[in-house]
Amino acid sequence: MTPLKSGGFVWLLAHDLRQSRRSFFSAFGKAGGFKIGAMLASVIVALHLVAAGVVAGLGGVAPDGVAAWFAAGALATLTWMVAQGLTGAMRTIYARGDFDLLFASPIAPSAVLASRALAIAAEGAASALLLLAPLADMGALLGHPSWLAIYPAICATAFAGAGLGLALALGLFLAFGPRRARLFSQIAATLIGASFVFGAQVINMLPAHAREAALDMLTRSAPGSWLAHDGLLYLPARAALGEPKAVPLWALSGLAIFTVAVVACAPVFASAAASASGSAASGGGRRAERAFRSGLRANLRAKERRLVLRDPWLLSQILMQILYTLPMSVVLWRSGTIAGSPAIAFGPAIVAITAQMAGALAWVALSGEDAPDFLATAPIDRRDLDRGKLEAMALPILAVLALPLLGLALAAPFGALTTLAFSLGAGASAALVNLWRQAPAPRRMVLRRHSQSKLVGLIEHVVSFLWAIACALAIFGSWTALIPLALAAFALWLNRPRRTPPMRAAAA
Amino acid sequence: MPHSALRLRALAKRFAAPAVDGLDLEVRAGEFYALLGPNGAGKTTTLRMVAGLLPPDSGTIEVFGGDALRNPIAAKRLIAWLPDEPMLYDKLDPLEYLEFVAGLWGCEPRRAKAAAESLLSDLGLWPHRFERCEGFSRGMKQKVALAGALVHEPKLLMLDEPLTGLDAAAARLVKDILAARVAEGAAIILTTHILEVAERLADRIGIIVAGKLAAEGTLAQLRAQTGSRGGALEDMFLDITSRAA
Repeated sequence: MTPLKSGGFVWLLAHDLRQSRRSFFSAFGKAGGFKIGAMLASVIVALHLVAAGVVAGLGGVAPDGVAAWFAAGALATLTWMVAQGLTGAMRTIYARGDFDLLFASPIAPSAVLASRALAIAAEGAASALLLLAPLADMGALLGHPSWLAIYPAICATAFAGAGLGLALALGLFLAFGPRRARLFSQIAATLIGASFVFGAQVINMLPAHAREAALDMLTRSAPGSWLAHDGLLYLPARAALGEPKAVPLWALSGLAIFTVAVVACAPVFASAAASASGSAASGGGRRAERAFRSGLRANLRAKERRLVLRDPWLLSQILMQILYTLPMSVVLWRSGTIAGSPAIAFGPAIVAITAQMAGALAWVALSGEDAPDFLATAPIDRRDLDRGKLEAMALPILAVLALPLLGLALAAPFGALTTLAFSLGAGASAALVNLWRQAPAPRRMVLRRHSQSKLVGLIEHVVSFLWAIACALAIFGSWTALIPLALAAFALWLNRPRRTPPMRAAAA
Repeated sequence: MPHSALRLRALAKRFAAPAVDGLDLEVRAGEFYALLGPNGAGKTTTLRMVAGLLPPDSGTIEVFGGDALRNPIAAKRLIAWLPDEPMLYDKLDPLEYLEFVAGLWGCEPRRAKAAAESLLSDLGLWPHRFERCEGFSRGMKQKVALAGALVHEPKLLMLDEPLTGLDAAAARLVKDILAARVAEGAAIILTTHILEVAERLADRIGIIVAGKLAAEGTLAQLRAQTGSRGGALEDMFLDITSRAA
């Protein structure tokens, strides 16, 4: 029994933390406490060793350069935290979990919101500190004690991010309503989270004179302006660098943003959560009467197509992966080192996108199946079912690929042909990995599917990377393209199914 | 004598402990059979093995005379399995769902469409046929799942708590539909904790305890076995399960 006063904010927070702790440890399966501790310690030591290398590398960089790195890091962390806050707030509202129980109890909705918002902030801080705390520790050990300020700076950033994310989430909810808000929030979170990367890419893509002007504005702004180094924009960076005034100021700012957001959002939070519970109800509307389709394949294709097309969130997540890849391709294209070849710039990117899409859609169709037991009772061989599902998912991939490949064919026909061949290979490889290593889970887990099996995720990424490299080498006309292809084949061979799982035998 | 729809011989399945322990069971064509038992008795495990969802450790399963373990596809053509949690696709509407089910079972499209429309109409789902299942109540989802189990005209229906979530009128409707299927020659195996349903509908009742059949027969035969004169099934059930435990 907890000694805390029942029904209060702290009591609820303790309850949530206990749930989070159990959920965290359950991710390690049946491993015991000692084993988990040893694994975590190993990871922490390894990250500290990497951080020592980074700190040593920064030894030769001028103080201004280090400050620029901190500024960039602080801005990237803040945007990422806001995105995390937005996603976390939406997940809290829509997943509901125990809301029916909590809102039926005499606990104030503001206490529920504050507890959940604090959990979002803690999750964000923990994720960022996992990577940045080793940097702070090793920096302090190697002559930069002020870097320990990264700890409070990250915590303040997490509070600010959670508060801004929460406010944004409820704003979107009020503006677009419960049915559309989730989709818009996912797009917004992706764009905000990637805004730093996009911003850097946009600056890179500018003509030389415009790029210099933009960089000049960012680095040599007039004292007193918000862009100046002593201005508001650089406050998180100055706090992370351990500037005496900036640390408490940024900590207070983070807490203030969080508190204001929680207080302001509390009145609408309960009603938003309540209306989200009924938001799934969506009518397909009246449609024309038509005959039933004949045959398994046609019905499977129709079912998979409907399930994907009627899930805008899923579509947006998959298409966002494409969006992430495109700016890098443009930069590569403009790069002098490859003489502006569109085939080299876009070919490997298209191959990588195909593998990503194929991996995601194959996972959705195979592991994200909504009714696996139901399909297992149908009088169909499991292999036919899997084959039919993969065929169904191949169509949207080919449709997405068609336009860029056509564009590439106009500029570089050989490159387009090579890209098509390697895209098919990469897509088939990614699909095979997901076919051989199925891990049933709800389809909303598509972007976090690799959290179930890190090995499968690693193999999928490695294989698609190898196909992309092979594509680039093949476009160059180099025989060395065979090396990454052989490595990809070896990775697949290692991942091959070694025996038929008992369930499959039964289901067949 | 009517031929056997399902015959289980020495069926066994063990998880941490034996879940089904040498079970012998026979259900005839045109028979409504209620499989009862306390929680964890092995009812659902038994049905999951028959449906092809779990491989048994030992024993045999025959569906209409065919070996379901050796030729599962042929057996599945004859079977429908309705679990206690409806297995639906939230983004499909009822008509699309039934079309998909008919496609899986290889039904002739025109006949399947007529059957689907008739079932939706009978179950009161016709006005909702173009609405996606994600917005349905538990009872409506249960009705869609039941329509899915019936649309391919199975010869052996296995229903796990089929009346869960249904209101009184819908429950009556479902009972009538099931009785009609039995009259047409289908065999139905039903598991339920609502003993009145078994008492009213079942031709024979089997009571399973710790993976073994503790008692089996018509209501009158069970009364004779327990020495209960005119007693309710509930009393007999409690008596049998407490003696067998």
